[in-house]
Amino acid sequence: MGDDYALSDAEKERYSRQIRLFSEEGQERLKRMRVFIAGAGGLGSVISLYLAASGFGSIRIADCDSVELSNLNRQILHGSSDLGLSKAQSALETLSDINPEVEVEALKKRISLENIESLLQGCDMIMDAMDNFSARYLLNCAALQRKIPLFHGAISGFQGQATTIVPGRTACLRCIFPRAPPAQTSPALGSTCGVIGSIQVNEAIKFALGRGELLENRLLLWDGLSSTLEEISCERNRSCPDCCYF
Amino acid sequence: MRIQMPDGSIVELPIDDHRIQDILRELEINSEEVIVAKNGRIVVEEETAGGSDELKIVRIVHGG
Repeated sequence: MGDDYALSDAEKERYSRQIRLFSEEGQERLKRMRVFIAGAGGLGSVISLYLAASGFGSIRIADCDSVELSNLNRQILHGSSDLGLSKAQSALETLSDINPEVEVEALKKRISLENIESLLQGCDMIMDAMDNFSARYLLNCAALQRKIPLFHGAISGFQGQATTIVPGRTACLRCIFPRAPPAQTSPALGSTCGVIGSIQVNEAIKFALGRGELLENRLLLWDGLSSTLEEISCERNRSCPDCCYF
Repeated sequence: MRIQMPDGSIVELPIDDHRIQDILRELEINSEEVIVAKNGRIVVEEETAGGSDELKIVRIVHGG
């Protein structure tokens, strides 16, 4: 590891419980990671807070919306004093406070075909915290082109799903979900965001460390009403329009 | 064939080699809203199922 990523004494203290788990070398691996988080809503709140707290070195988060009162039942990145503020600005302030060691870039932007390349510039992984499949398909294609992992998560009410897409190794998002479901405003519960967002972060940590078994070719289904986790297997669709050329 | 519906309930259909999309239509389920696992593996709706196969129909969630 180069000196740029060597841990300071303050970082060694901050991350001491994690260093017990995966050593200073593991912590330096997290510090090297540059993550893009698509969305600063319910999932994006949990994901960004835990990525920042755990010491991922660089976080870029994008969201085009402003904080509204109806967000605050679940979007714990934002508080009542942030109402009316852009979610990007609110995210920047909260994440910088949670962990000033992390380089945070927060962008008030809607993710589109036109800007996705620049948004992902320099990033090693993508966290899916979007609320619609058209944006998710953009992330999927970008991940395939850049050969970087996409950590998918989605929620509705008590239900959630998560999987990890590693280009060249796993089914892509389009293989699993060939068509976007009809657009609608989902009911949203903070605890479901907590479960699914935490799983996504856990996957990102394992990927960064090169440890454990990722959710590759497995779609994890969370049912908060029965408190059960179930998984179903998936595989690459050789005629998938998104990944068949990769 | 045993089918687990999106709400967790179980339906038994005594059929052989039906296309998934036809089964969904028979069950009055919008195929755009679900994915289907056959014997634990996600399959495309052009695939057939029947006999002793087990289907699980999962409603796709998309909120964030």
